[in-house]
Amino acid sequence: MGSKGPGSRSGPVNAVPRAPFGRRARRELAFCLLGLPFVVLNAFTVFFAVVLLLTLTGRQPWTVDDNPSPWTVLVAVSVVVLLTLLLVVSGGARRLGASCRWAVGFLLGEQVAAPPPPPGRSGRGRRGGGGLRAALGDGPSWRAVAYLFLKLPTALLEAYAALVFWGAGLVNLTYPFWWNSFRNHPDGTRLSPVPVVTPFDWSGAGHFQITTFPGTFAALGAGVGMLLAAPWVTRAVVAGDRWLIRNLLGPRPLAQRLTDLEHTRALAVDDAAARLRRLERDLHDGAQIRLATLALNLGMAKRKLGESGAVPHPDEARELVDAALQGAKDALSELRELARGIHPAVLDTGLADALATLVAGNAVPTELTADITVRPTPAIETIAYFCTAELLANATKHSGAGLIAIEVTQRAEVLVLRIADDGRGGADPARGSGLSGLKDRVAVVDGRLDITSPPGGPTRATVVLPLRA
Amino acid sequence: MRIVIAEDAALFRAGLVRLLEDDGHTVCAAVADGGAMLSAAVEHRPDVVIADIRMPPTFTDEGLRAALELRRTHPDTSVLVLSQYIETRYAASLLHGSPAGVGYLLKERVADVAEFTDAVTRVAAGGTALDREVVSQLLAASHRTGGLDPLTPREREVLALMAEGRSNTGIAAALVLTLGTVEKHIASIFTKLDLPPSEGDNRRVLAVLRHLDA
Repeated sequence: MGSKGPGSRSGPVNAVPRAPFGRRARRELAFCLLGLPFVVLNAFTVFFAVVLLLTLTGRQPWTVDDNPSPWTVLVAVSVVVLLTLLLVVSGGARRLGASCRWAVGFLLGEQVAAPPPPPGRSGRGRRGGGGLRAALGDGPSWRAVAYLFLKLPTALLEAYAALVFWGAGLVNLTYPFWWNSFRNHPDGTRLSPVPVVTPFDWSGAGHFQITTFPGTFAALGAGVGMLLAAPWVTRAVVAGDRWLIRNLLGPRPLAQRLTDLEHTRALAVDDAAARLRRLERDLHDGAQIRLATLALNLGMAKRKLGESGAVPHPDEARELVDAALQGAKDALSELRELARGIHPAVLDTGLADALATLVAGNAVPTELTADITVRPTPAIETIAYFCTAELLANATKHSGAGLIAIEVTQRAEVLVLRIADDGRGGADPARGSGLSGLKDRVAVVDGRLDITSPPGGPTRATVVLPLRA
Repeated sequence: MRIVIAEDAALFRAGLVRLLEDDGHTVCAAVADGGAMLSAAVEHRPDVVIADIRMPPTFTDEGLRAALELRRTHPDTSVLVLSQYIETRYAASLLHGSPAGVGYLLKERVADVAEFTDAVTRVAAGGTALDREVVSQLLAASHRTGGLDPLTPREREVLALMAEGRSNTGIAAALVLTLGTVEKHIASIFTKLDLPPSEGDNRRVLAVLRHLDA
């Protein structure tokens, strides 16, 4: 948005008279007016409305001597708490936050990034008991609630700026024009003075009142002053609101981000150590012992072949060599699998090729659609590959699906993997350590994994990864 | 010889059983974990127990701990421990106390069938069999501190074989020397390293190891 501030080209002296006519000032005014509903819709208003309604019934136990009883206050507080909880659980708080972010983006050109989506939910709102707890623990929702609380004083200030400075300022300009039309009574008629609204006297009941036509020019002067000040007042008020929006409706503050990074770093380190341990274990229990057995068989075969000349036990020697040969083949295929598990060589030519290879060998028919225009960094490709491999293996082994569909697409700065099957569902990341491990691995690069898998199916897993780690 | 085998990899276990039975020994039991090994050893009272170090359920040093336990409760039962790795710490804890009837070999040594069965026989008879990897690690450490400087290269070879637990005959066969020459080398080593004269292979191993460890 091109609103650079009214004084950016012509210097501060010109800025003051120009400000009220600037595009930015108009947009800030609009933003202030958009805040008006929040003066009505907030916890305090709800509280007083409930108290008032109950008191108006005039019955026990809601009133004591026509005053609200403690019960009334308790009910009003409960209603506010319940509504707040509902707002959080239903995702309404997030939606309200999103609309405020939209307003600040659309009107003021400030793009506030959305906070990360709630974990383990993919928009559909399907969730069980664990989901409710997760929803109640959703930080961004609570920060949106905090914003809504703080929006009341903010919205009042915005209303003050918009209605008093702009509204009353404009009205004050008009005094000289209508004065003579209304104040043309015969001489000697006693007329009440006309009040003038100013920022210091916004109800108009104070001392700035005019009775004569020349006095209207004083009102006009006040109006001009108010209009000249108005853009700056609105800007100041709006700046406060923007600060709140940035800090409460945006992604979490830096400190939190730091904690998150520390957490994911710990995950990454643990994951790396666990992988090495698994690798050693696989080597130890796999190729290594196979090769030891192979050596043993060859050693025995050598013995059966005798020192020189005629072979004393040719049949046994042959059988042992056969076993050794089989052992060598097994060890080779074991090593091949292991190497592929470390890094599939086909990944070097691209994720799409690697996934095609993966899908081709799958036991359940699998459709792959890949649309990748910009290659992600190798680390992301590797994570994407292994995520897909694991999700595919899960779907193949546990879902009883007859068809699996994998879709890889690229949006602006992210890679999106979707794996869907027509199986029986019921996959739960909270229970399966495989899935939660996958979530952790994805979180390390600020990606996320969402799974919806209602009992009875179908299961849909979505992995979103940044293009570069 | 009566033998109990504890090894969790089925193929290797079967190979071991076959190798030892081919060699004329009796395998009383072939089990897959440390607990089963202990009860089999108590039940069959074998001459030697051959145990893998890493077995279920912990897959760490199960076999070693079972072997140490067996040595504590039945000191007359010999134990030969097999492993895919050489850890000097494991060797040290096995040899702690007395090296009599103790062995520690890399699994791949089974490929040299004659040498392996020789080691099994030696351990069963109350001798020592220490993998040449362990010995060479100890020798390397000693070499760095200059402890072996007085020895000729040939004497170092003899020393290594002595540390492995071989008898004079075994050393003579391995180096293709006469028994007399070997004895001469050994006497020279003991003098040069200022070791106490030791009768019997075990005490000799101990003396050599103590020297290397120092």
